[in-house]
Order: sequence, then structure tokens, then C-alpha cells
Amino acid sequence: MEFPILSLITWTPFISALIIMAFARHRPLLVRLVGTIGSSITLVGSIWLYFAYDHVKNGFQFHESFPLVPSVGIHYLLAVDGWGLVLVLLTAIILFAGSFASWTVKTRGQEFYALLLLLVTGVFGVFVSLDLFILFLFYEIAVLPMYLLIAIWGSSGEVLPQGVFGWAFKRTGVGTKEYAAMKLTLYLLLGSAFILVGILALYTAAGSTSFSLLDLQQVKFDPALQSWVFLFFYIGFGVLAGIFPLHTWSPDGHASAPTAVSMLHAGVLMKLGAYGVLRLGFGLTPDGALQWAWLVGGIACINIVYGAFSAMSQKDLKYVVAYSSVSHMGIVMLGMATLTEQGINGSVFQMVAHGIMTGLFFALVGLVYEKAHSREIFKMGGFATMMPGIATAFVVGGFSSLGLPGTAGFVAEFLAFLGAWQSAHSWWLFPGVAGAFLTAIYVLRVAKQIFFGPKSEDPHFQNLPDAQGTEWVALVFLVCILVLFGVFPSLIVGPIDTATVALLNHMGITR
Amino acid sequence: MSAFGPMTLEIGLGALMLVVLLLGIFRPAVPDRRAGWVALIGLLVLVAASFAATPGGTLFGGSYVVDALALFAKRLFLVSAAISVLASLALPGARFARRGAEYHFALLSSLLGMLVLASSRDLVLLFVAFELMSIPLYFLTGFQKGEATAGEGALKFFLVGSVSSAILLYGFSFLFGGTGSTDMSVIAVAVATGNLMAKLGLVLALAGLGFKIAAVPFHMWVPDTYEAATTPFVAWLSVAPKAAGFIVIFRLYLEGASGAALVWVPLVSAMAGLTIVAGNLMAIPQTNVKRMLAYSGVAHIGYMLMGLAAISASGVGMVLFYLVAYLFGNMGAFLVVQAVGESEASDKMSAYRGLAQRSPVLALSLLVFLLSLGGIPFVAGFWAKLFIFRAVVDQHMYGLALLGAVATIVALYYYLILAGRMYVEEPEIKTPVVVPTPLFIAILICAIGTVVMGIYPEPWVRGVMEAVRGLF
Repeated sequence: MEFPILSLITWTPFISALIIMAFARHRPLLVRLVGTIGSSITLVGSIWLYFAYDHVKNGFQFHESFPLVPSVGIHYLLAVDGWGLVLVLLTAIILFAGSFASWTVKTRGQEFYALLLLLVTGVFGVFVSLDLFILFLFYEIAVLPMYLLIAIWGSSGEVLPQGVFGWAFKRTGVGTKEYAAMKLTLYLLLGSAFILVGILALYTAAGSTSFSLLDLQQVKFDPALQSWVFLFFYIGFGVLAGIFPLHTWSPDGHASAPTAVSMLHAGVLMKLGAYGVLRLGFGLTPDGALQWAWLVGGIACINIVYGAFSAMSQKDLKYVVAYSSVSHMGIVMLGMATLTEQGINGSVFQMVAHGIMTGLFFALVGLVYEKAHSREIFKMGGFATMMPGIATAFVVGGFSSLGLPGTAGFVAEFLAFLGAWQSAHSWWLFPGVAGAFLTAIYVLRVAKQIFFGPKSEDPHFQNLPDAQGTEWVALVFLVCILVLFGVFPSLIVGPIDTATVALLNHMGITR
Repeated sequence: MSAFGPMTLEIGLGALMLVVLLLGIFRPAVPDRRAGWVALIGLLVLVAASFAATPGGTLFGGSYVVDALALFAKRLFLVSAAISVLASLALPGARFARRGAEYHFALLSSLLGMLVLASSRDLVLLFVAFELMSIPLYFLTGFQKGEATAGEGALKFFLVGSVSSAILLYGFSFLFGGTGSTDMSVIAVAVATGNLMAKLGLVLALAGLGFKIAAVPFHMWVPDTYEAATTPFVAWLSVAPKAAGFIVIFRLYLEGASGAALVWVPLVSAMAGLTIVAGNLMAIPQTNVKRMLAYSGVAHIGYMLMGLAAISASGVGMVLFYLVAYLFGNMGAFLVVQAVGESEASDKMSAYRGLAQRSPVLALSLLVFLLSLGGIPFVAGFWAKLFIFRAVVDQHMYGLALLGAVATIVALYYYLILAGRMYVEEPEIKTPVVVPTPLFIAILICAIGTVVMGIYPEPWVRGVMEAVRGLF
């Protein structure tokens, strides 16, 4: 048996969490060190995994198998293919950056790091599991710690709800961290209820012998069953991917969460949802996917345009970034709905590009908030002279967001739009491109207002420091990666493409 | 079975009851814990005997059997009673222990009713055992007779309980009238050939039993009764009589009337769906933790009914699995309520503020119980719900499965609110909650049981499948 690298990557955060809980009580420095060392090990492991993966042979590699409850067909089955490979790498990158971004957590830091690392174990687990049951367990681990992370360490919004329904929003406490935490948790668990029923339906229809993805892929399910099971997977995982109209947890949750949690959640967890739709929905119920592709793509178009317009009208900086995630996740879903090689490649590439970009954005917003203690866009102004480093990183992130060539965002959007044009619904191209255009408006507007506009007269906003010490690590690291993947897209597209081709062959789509 | 044949456990329990009763004759010093300790030791011996026993043996011409199902149920009743008696050792002396002999005698006689009930395969014996179980429960609910709520709760429970017994008996009379026999095997034959009167009897009996297991729309006595009674007793009341109700349902509907499945399965499915939805929705606005747990308990009954509606070996087996998971999770939660309630003199949610920072172990135990009740992976409740859903999906009842799965989210909302109280909010006072040792041990037993079942469910699954093999 070869070295269990996937288990190492998956469980290292968990073990770090245990060490932190057991040995690091009242020792904040030790907590941070253990957290950082754990995330470094996973990063090194993921990079090693990327290079050790046989890019010629393709398919699922690094198999690990251990019978867990053999009587009902549950096995601890791990393996990665091209998609899993790049998404594991993405998770490790964001975790590494996130662990540096949380050095400033003051209260109950021990529990914060432990929960954060526990959550990441769940994320890694979903990306590497081949057994649907284990995948579901990891999914739950990834979702649940979020409640405490947001409710304890989160922040409540400063901009009060307004408009026709303002009174109703105020009564339910929209914008407070407690509201956001509960809403996010319930939405995601609602999704998991759909997923569980879908998994059980496929499992029983296949003869109740195995939860293995590879075994279930061999079964030809009844088209009627496939049709509704696909919808269940689409709704269940789609909640996490922020599909319209089930996206409303995302702005509230991401705006209220502490920096590292927003980075991980918007950067990686939302990809978990898209990955689930692609892997389970498209992979296991191909007929259902063919039947409902128009719906997936149509809703994705709404996501792109609606998310961008919503982002434009926000006054709270974190809400802008959160709504931009909703818009960008639309491109992910649009890419896969095209059912073309380019489109699906673009979809997975967008998962990576958006993950890094939004991680960078949330890190920056967190830094600005820490220095200026404000998230209100129109109160701030002219920060570029005081914090040139943060301003530069924000602009690079913004360029990637609006798809400027030379950044990862460009490659992703280009591929997705190419796929849209080649697909059966070529009109999808127009909302997609319109989304990119609208993104330019709100990103540049925010950058201009906060960093380059006239200097704010507010006495709170004078002499603010730039990023310091460990804060630089996350920024420089993420900016470099964003440009690296933009200049050498083949690093990511190569592995993705092999898995995409396998999926299209399985679905019986000729290219 | 040993010297006394199939009734060893019942005879042993009878002897224990007499000893406890005699202890009450000798005027003791206050507070007196002798009755509690004797009952606990006796129960532990009986628990050991029940696990040493093997199924097999019938009495009275087949109306009394000790099959695998009966033995499983007896173990469940005995273990839950032992945990409850252990926890009630911690009840404050002045209010409780002076009448310790009465309390334990009543509890043990109700337990005797359950043990007999688990083995009955004859309608008359079944009903007698049912009443032997029920009547001491009314008394125990009103045990704290000095308090006004105790009288109210006991009276409500008594009135509803007697009416439901009457309905049950009425249903039994139809069954007897239609089939000419009180024997389950004769009834089975008559029902399968389509006897209309017997079917009417089955529907009436379902209503009577619905009261006992507190399924919607027969649930309204539950919250008041739970709020009025002493908490260690409520912990037991919320589990053991419900389990007994399910054993009767298995006997009557699976052994007796599986031929008339078309009549009662739609009824049970509808009742299951209604119970899950209504129980969970009514739990949301509660501010008293005991009432919240009462309503959430109603919802759990709905999930068990769901497993019954699947009428398959896996469905019914998983009802038993659910009962065991529910035993640990629900009893554990009520025992933590007892600990906090005794220390803070309040069962309100606000008494739980910042509990995690005051008593981390107590808070963690309650979190484990709540997660188990909510059906979260790695604790017992997850497997229970999963297996039930699987059994239902197996029968192609996808709608019911989805309803159940979505309702768990509603349940998680109010469980998470309580968890949030404990973990997110800051405590008003920093001193730890004082937990008496016996109560603490009882809580730990429940917590360990919940976690062990969650991490390694395999042997428990095998156990329950063994128990239901005779039914199919």
C-alpha cells in the first residue's frame, strides 16, 4: 500500500484542532503556531500531490480503501481526479492564507482555530471522497462549525435595513451575526436533507450494496428517477453554491463571518456545492442533467446579473464582496450547464479563480475593517496614500474579478463564455458578458471610493497603517497565485480537462 | 431461562418491589435514601440477568412469550429505569426522600407492567399489563403533591390516559367480537380474510395507542405532564412508556394485523407526517426547556411511526434502534435539565446562558444530546434517522422521507438556539453548576451511550435486527 497522502491532507487539520484543544489552553501563540504548521503541512502535501499525480495516466489516483460498515456497503474510499486535485490545492491555499489572516482573533482564540481547522477537514474530505456516504459525513462536518464560528466571532452589520420591508427586516434582526449564523446553518442543512434523500434513492435503486461513486456510475438508472434525483442534488448542493433564489444566506453569512471564515466559506465551501452538482448531479444522473441543463443555465444567468446588480446597490463593503460571490458562482453554474468541454473546464477553473480572488477580497476587507473599524463604503475615502499595499492588492483582485487578461479570472470567464456560445443555448453568452461588465462597474466604483477618491475628513480615518507583519503573507501569497494562474492557465486547465473529458464520455456527449 | 422459567425477571422484580415497600414501613430518618439504593441495586441485578437471559419459552398456552423482541424490550425498560432511579438519588431530600419507598414502589410496579406487556400475545393480558403500567404513572406525575402544577398535570394525564385506555379497550372488544378470540394468532388469520369489524377495532385501537405514545393529534397531555413532574421521572416517562406503546403496536399490527396493512399503513403514515411537522413546529416558540423537549419528543415519535409505516424488517428494526438512541439522547437531555434546574431554580432557556463557560462538561453533554436528537453525524441520532429514512425510501415512500428530512432542519433550529445560549452567550455568574454525583454519573452514561452508538453503530444494528426477526 502506498503512502496515504490524501488521508494525511484531510486529517492534518483535524489533528491540529485536537492538539490545540488539548495542549494550547491560554497559550495564544502556541494556538497560532499549531494552526499555521498544520495548514503548512496540508499546503506542502497538496503541492506534492499535484506534482506526484500522473498527468499522463489521468483518472482517479491515490486510492485508499478501508471497509467501515461493510454490511451496508460503506467504505472509507478516497481518490482524486483532475478536479479533486485542483480543488484540494485551492483549499490548501486558502487555508494557509486564512490561518495568517486570523492571527488577530483575540477572544477564545483556541476554540476559533480548532473549529476552523475542523471545518477544513470536512472540505478536504468532500473533495477526495469516492464513497457518497463518507462524502455526506464530510459535508456535514464542513457545514456545522460555521454556526458557532459566525455566532461567536462574527460581526454585525452597521448599515440598517431600509426600504419597504425595512421594518420586517429589523424585527427579524437582519444583519446581526446571530441571524446570519442561524440562517446560513438552516439553509445549508436544508440542502443536506435533499442530498441525503437523493443519495439514499440512488443507493436503494442500485440494489443497496454500495455507496461507492464508481460502482453507482456503472448503474443505468431509470430516467424518471434520474430526473428528480438530479433536481434534489441540484437544489441540495445548489444551496451551498448560492443558486438563485436560495442564495440569500450567502450575503448575510459572509458579511457577518470573521475574516478567515468568510475567506474559507466564500472561497472554498461554495465550490463544494458546485463540485457536488457536477460530481453527483452530472456524474451519477446524466440523463437528469441533460434534461434539466436549461434550468441550471437559466438560473445561472439570473445569478450573474442579479448578483451584480445587488452588489452595485450595497453600502456595506462586505456585502459587495458577498454579492459578487453570488454573481461569480453564477458563472460556475453557467459553465457546467453548457455541457461542453470548454464550458465545464471554465466552470472548474472559475471555482479556483474565484476561490482565490474572493479569499483575497475578504482578507482585504478584514484588514481595512481592522484598521479603519468601518465597512461603510461611502464614509471612507482616499485610503491609497495610507495603505498602498492593501490598495494594490485590492486592485489586482478587482481586475481578476472583472476578467482582465493576465489574471486567473480572465481565463475562467473566457472558457465559460466560449462554452456558452458553443452550447445549445448560445444566448447564455449575453447575460454572462453583461455580468462581467457590471462587475467592472461595482468593483471599480468601490476601489475609487475607498482608495482613490477624495480623502475622508472623518478623524477616525486619519493616519491608518498599511498591512503589517504576518498580514502581508496572505496578501502577497494570494496575489501571486492569482497572477500565476492567469499567466500559466495550463497548470490548472490540464488536470481539469482530463476529468471533464471523462465526464462528457460518461454522459455520452460527442464533442 | 433459569429456575422460574420464562418469568424470572418479573418474579425478581416483584420480590424487589416487596422489599422496597417493606422498607417504607420502618420509620426512617430524613432524608432517607435506602429505598433508592435498594431499588438501584436490585435493578442492576435484573439488568444483568436480562442480558444473561436468552430468548425462548412460552406460558399460558402461548399468550405469554419471551421471544427476542420481548427480551429486547425488557432490557430497554430495565436500563432506562435504572438510569432514572440513579438520577433520582440526587433529588433534594426534604421534598422527596421521606416518601422514597412510595416513589420507588410505584415506579417499579409500572416497570413490572411494562415487562409483562412486552411478552403478552393475548388481548386481555395485554390490557391488564397496560393498566398496570399506566396507573402508577398517574400517581408518580402528581408525586410532588404540595405544588399546584403537580395536581393539574397528574389530573390531565389521568383523564387523557383513562379515556385512551377506554378507547383501546373498545377497539379490543371489536377485535374480539369480529374474530371470536383474544389470541393474536387467531386474530391474524381472521383479519387476513377481511373481517370488517376487526378492522374497525384496529383503527380504534390505533387511536388509543396514539394517546399512549403521544402521536399527533393525541399529544396534548405531554407538555403539561412533563412540566409538572419531577425531572428524573420525566426522563423515564418520556422514553419507557413510549417504547412500551411501540411494542404493543408491533404485537398488534405486525404479528396480528399485517394482513390488513392496507387499512392501517395509510393511517400510520399520515399520523407520522402530521406528528413530525406539528411536534417540531410547536417546539419552536417554547421558552421552557422541559416543554421544548416535550414537543420535540412528540416529533421523535413521528419518526418512529415513519419506520413502522415502512412495514419491513429494516424499518421496524430501526424503530428499536431509534428507541435506544432516543433513550440515551432524551433521558440525557432531561437529566441535564434536572441538574441546571436544581441549581438555578429555573427550567427557562435563560438559565442556560453561558453554561459552556460555567460547566464545560455539562454543556458538552447537553450539546451531544441535542445533536443526537437533531440527527447530526457521529452521534446516535444520526444513524437512527438515516436508517429510518433508508427503510422508507426502500418502500418508495420518497415524499415521507423528504418531509422527515426537511423537518429535521426545523428541529435543528430550536436545538441550535439552546446550543447558542450555552456556547455563544456570556454567563451572568461564573460559578459552576453544582451537580450531585449520582446525577452526574447518569448523565455520563447517557453521553457515552450516545457517542458510542454514533461512532460504532454496527453491533447495535445487529442487535435490533435480531430482535425483530420473529415479526417477519
